[in-house]
Amino acid sequence: MVSGEGTQVAATRPAASAAQIAFQSVSKRYPGRGQAAVEDLSFEVPSGEICVLIGPSGCGKTTALKMVNRLIPMTGGDITIDGKSVNAIETSQLRRGVGYVFQQIGLFPHMTVQDNIGTVPRLLGWSKGRIRERALELLELVGLGEEDNLRRYPGEFSGGQQQRIGVARAMAVDPPIMLMDEPFGAIDPITRDRLQDDFLRLHREVRKTIIFVTHDIDEAIKMGDLIAIMRDGRLVQIDTPDNLLAAPADEFVAGFVGADRGLKRLRVWTLGDLDLDPLARSSDTLPSAPAGTSLRDALSLMLTAGASRVAVLGEDEAAAGSVSLEAIAAILGPQARAPGP
Amino acid sequence: MLAPAGGPSPGPGPVIPRFGGGSSCVVHNGQFCASWFVDNFGSRFAPRLVEHIELTAIAVGVGMVIALAAALIAHRQGWFETPFSLLSAFLYTIPSLAFFELMVQVTGINRFTAEIALVSYTLLILFRNTLAGLRAVPPDALEAAQAMGLSRRQMLLRVELPLALPPIMAGLRIATVTTISLATVAAYIGAGGLGEPIFDGIQTGFKTEFIAAGGLAIALALAADGLLVAAQRLLTPWARRRRA
Repeated sequence: MVSGEGTQVAATRPAASAAQIAFQSVSKRYPGRGQAAVEDLSFEVPSGEICVLIGPSGCGKTTALKMVNRLIPMTGGDITIDGKSVNAIETSQLRRGVGYVFQQIGLFPHMTVQDNIGTVPRLLGWSKGRIRERALELLELVGLGEEDNLRRYPGEFSGGQQQRIGVARAMAVDPPIMLMDEPFGAIDPITRDRLQDDFLRLHREVRKTIIFVTHDIDEAIKMGDLIAIMRDGRLVQIDTPDNLLAAPADEFVAGFVGADRGLKRLRVWTLGDLDLDPLARSSDTLPSAPAGTSLRDALSLMLTAGASRVAVLGEDEAAAGSVSLEAIAAILGPQARAPGP
Repeated sequence: MLAPAGGPSPGPGPVIPRFGGGSSCVVHNGQFCASWFVDNFGSRFAPRLVEHIELTAIAVGVGMVIALAAALIAHRQGWFETPFSLLSAFLYTIPSLAFFELMVQVTGINRFTAEIALVSYTLLILFRNTLAGLRAVPPDALEAAQAMGLSRRQMLLRVELPLALPPIMAGLRIATVTTISLATVAAYIGAGGLGEPIFDGIQTGFKTEFIAAGGLAIALALAADGLLVAAQRLLTPWARRRRA
């Protein structure tokens, strides 16, 4: 969804500083119910990162999310944004600084796309011209950057397009924080995959702090810088996707991430994360892939080509080295190391 | 056959000396004497038509304000729905002539009395439709509005009322048409309007007069309905624009 123009647009915008979010022993109890919906939840999301909350239905992940912008009031503990308690911020001011995207999207059917995106800017007294400019800029960012779209109504778009508009609307006043509650949950798998890719690309540009709720472990691994697994209102484990897959804290986490967690890990790593072997003379016959290819895709490439090595292409599209089947297998072995530059 | 009011009645059939134009249609009391209608439109019908429009506009306008307020209360406080529904349904069941007669004893023979009755008749349909409209607002739109930091008032004005507009407009159309029809009866207690020439025509037996007045009331109802449809299309462009 991020085109060349989108990059320029983002570059000319004032950079929003992302904010750090901290949960401090947060709990939510409903009167008359024995078990707390959320109990003693503590974790931090560093600024500019995506933290995925995941767990089975009823584990409290959505409740935890909605306590950040106080759609649900917490009953114990505190949540701070850059050190400031959300309870100390006036409600509407807090909510305008926190973008909110959810599965049902919630576009206003009676407003044009421009008016939908301009809802909060209008409340803040922006001029019509500025709202229009901003709406178009955001539409470009989410891949719907045609002027005609501004005057159309939500009902005229597909579900995937509506969710893009929903994301654009949530970013209207450039909030440092975004809360996303199963945003792609109601969208068909192919469109969902594209939306995820596009959103990740968008996130690399705008670098907001994001809390992302899902029940889909594959989505969590793909989207998260951090994954927090919850069960019965409590945090079970929070870690990077790779560590979570390599070292699940207990049986519950291991079961939740799946028996194929080894293969899932290969999706977290790219060829560029490995030390490259020098190219042999006979490397012309090897299958090749760009350095950004996931190990999972590289493995698939090798197996289908019947090769035990893959040539890794550098940014200039020339082979920079190669990676062997053994090197990939070694990652999943007992002496694991973290991926990284 | 109705006896002509007052005037001398020589021979069979009504004679209408008061309207005594020369045309044979009038003398023989034909079904509809177009030339007489045209000649007398400005003096006899136009003022009544204007009165009728006023009666209707005031009744529907005041009724809408009351129904909207009641629906807003019922939307926030569920218990309010039943008593107000019962009250408005009760008012709706009172026969109109009886209602007018009853109110005359309280507020006298005048327009105000007529308006009280007419407003009462609009409440049932306007209240029900407005409340149904408010309740049909998609909950996801409300959640989005809340999450964007809109205040209750902003949510009402920018999200709930606009989205409730189609059923509200549907209610307004029904209320307007029925009020135009009912308002003819209001002439019985001196409220004016197109009911006056109708009653007059019935009393004197002059067919052209009540047929013309009745026809004008029907035309007014159709015109008002058409205007409201046009207004609705103008106000809710989004309701017609859907992805093919």
